[in-house]
Amino acid sequence: MRDVPGLPSRRTFLKASAASAAIAGIAAVPAKAEQKPEPVALTEYKPDCLKPSEWAFVMAAVARLIPSDGEGPGAIEARVPVFIDKQLAGDYGRAADWYMQGPHDAAASPLRGWQTPLNPLQIYQKAIPFFDEWCKTTHGKIFAELDAETQDKALTSLQKDEMKIAPELREFFTILLANTKEGYFADPMYGGNHGMEAWKYIGFPGARGSYKEWVLKHNKPYPLGPVSISGERA
Amino acid sequence: MKKLVRVLGVLVVLGIIALLAFIFVPVQRTGPATQLAADFKPAKGQGEYVMRAGDCLACHTNEGGKPFAGGRAIQSPMGAIWTTNITPDKETGIGNWSLDDFRAALYDGVTPNGTHLYPAMPYENYRKMSEEDIVALYDYFMNEVEPVSNKVEETKLAFPFNLRFGLRAWNWLAANYEPGFKPTQGQDEQFNRGKYLVEGAGHCAACHSPRNLFMAQDGIDDTSKAFLTGGEIDGYTAPDLRGPESGPQKWTTEQTAAYLATARNAHSTATGEMMLVVRDSLQYLTKEDNMAIAAYLKKIGTGGEKAATAPAEPVVTETEKMLTEAKADMPLGPRLYLDNCGGCHLVNGKGAAEIFPELDDNSLVTAKSPKGLISVILHGAELPSTADRPMKVRMQGYDNRLSDEEVAALATFLREGWTNKAPAVSAADVKAIRDLPKH
Repeated sequence: MRDVPGLPSRRTFLKASAASAAIAGIAAVPAKAEQKPEPVALTEYKPDCLKPSEWAFVMAAVARLIPSDGEGPGAIEARVPVFIDKQLAGDYGRAADWYMQGPHDAAASPLRGWQTPLNPLQIYQKAIPFFDEWCKTTHGKIFAELDAETQDKALTSLQKDEMKIAPELREFFTILLANTKEGYFADPMYGGNHGMEAWKYIGFPGARGSYKEWVLKHNKPYPLGPVSISGERA
Repeated sequence: MKKLVRVLGVLVVLGIIALLAFIFVPVQRTGPATQLAADFKPAKGQGEYVMRAGDCLACHTNEGGKPFAGGRAIQSPMGAIWTTNITPDKETGIGNWSLDDFRAALYDGVTPNGTHLYPAMPYENYRKMSEEDIVALYDYFMNEVEPVSNKVEETKLAFPFNLRFGLRAWNWLAANYEPGFKPTQGQDEQFNRGKYLVEGAGHCAACHSPRNLFMAQDGIDDTSKAFLTGGEIDGYTAPDLRGPESGPQKWTTEQTAAYLATARNAHSTATGEMMLVVRDSLQYLTKEDNMAIAAYLKKIGTGGEKAATAPAEPVVTETEKMLTEAKADMPLGPRLYLDNCGGCHLVNGKGAAEIFPELDDNSLVTAKSPKGLISVILHGAELPSTADRPMKVRMQGYDNRLSDEEVAALATFLREGWTNKAPAVSAADVKAIRDLPKH
């Protein structure tokens, strides 16, 4: 970080003929590439916090929540699993800025919000094996190995809590669905919404904030594609 | 033949004597420009005020150092010039200096032991200062500034610039005029007050005037055509202040004064060195003095004195039309403008008064050297907090968001957009500035 931005060095006329000034080439900032290189394929991706079995579950689950067939990109094309892994590995996963002191009454009315003593990462870590076990008992295989139709059924059961999950884990489906949507629509800098495909699909123009002259143009499509916080254009 | 040898020998001996005299005979120090009454006492606060007008603090204080204790490196192509300790400390500062010693530093650029100061110290300009102000400033440094023991690094420039006696010859060219201030006859008090501040303590011309062949300021006052017509500092363009298209000529006197006092006005904002000048110096001047500077600058306009033109009917430029339509196939430059700049600087390039500077018809945007523009795009800018306008309005930098090619396309668009007409910027220009060491 520079101390004061845009600040030339101290004035002196001796610098007037700076043509011969020797430039000490320290700390050169590498120029940002015009086109970002394609990121590593999801199958090659090394998760920051998810274990292989958890990663396999997240990959399979988000692919059913926002499937790749039909209109628009699916959660896999948008690299939603990467977003979830990075979020769970960061402040969100640790509930770093939430009030997490007791007393905890995980079985309290859901109207009272987050009551479990677990943070989101712990919920994923405990709920996935439990759910996989339930899938095995009920459908014969762990979730990731089921066919799509059965996966949909299993997720529906999870949503309706047919397997009576522990109260500490009851937020699991809710956060899984929410994190999937977030990974689909958040700025690409967080790992999801790859190539701003989700924004392009719904016509959201991204982090531009320059629409003053469009306020009164009703029913006219906005022509420009989106721009991301880090400056990607589409 | 023998005779010729003898003549040559005599010439060589004379030459050596002259050289030794040049090096070793002490410089004649300039006395007071006017004799003050024996009981002259500067008014309370006058010395500090002169210090602000001369901006001594800016160079003679190191980053995070004690005020006036020196030790700031001023980078020059010949090496670092270290500013000196000007606190009244007797060992490492100027505590033992007499008034005559002090005046000689400001007028002649020599220290009590006869050492020549490098002209990074603008004695070329300070030579215009009145004896009253010199005495007040001396009094301030001796009695109001805290003595600080701080031995600063000695300046060691590369040969031949390490031979300080050579500056004696330079001084014959640069600072060879009657000391003190000569008001212009027939002009009013306000004009001459502005002239005094601009030409003297304010040393505006040190940056805003071109340099001549000898790197001396081209002209020391407004009788010289080149005076304040723009200069260069460290590769940045210090804009012209006198041409018909320059800020002080196009803006109203009040607007120029507001720029000086707050680093912002209805049209523009101060960046880079000028931002520092407002922060450390000009904001402390009285409203009357900043108005005097503005009025003086207006009167010395080379396009002749004219009233500020009434704002013309706004013309919708081709650039504004293109940005408003925002067609998907628009070129990269304007597309980057919409993606990154348009939210604040708007499609008409006019920004908003006192916050977002106009980019259309902006001297930084169209400056001969694009260094300032590129630097602001890469690293952003910040306005100083002043008494009248406390908010440090800040523009973020885009060095993480834009590549060299993208900055070049954007800067080129800005330099050609709306009514601007300035040459294109290349990715290599941008890279050179991105690679500069951080200050």
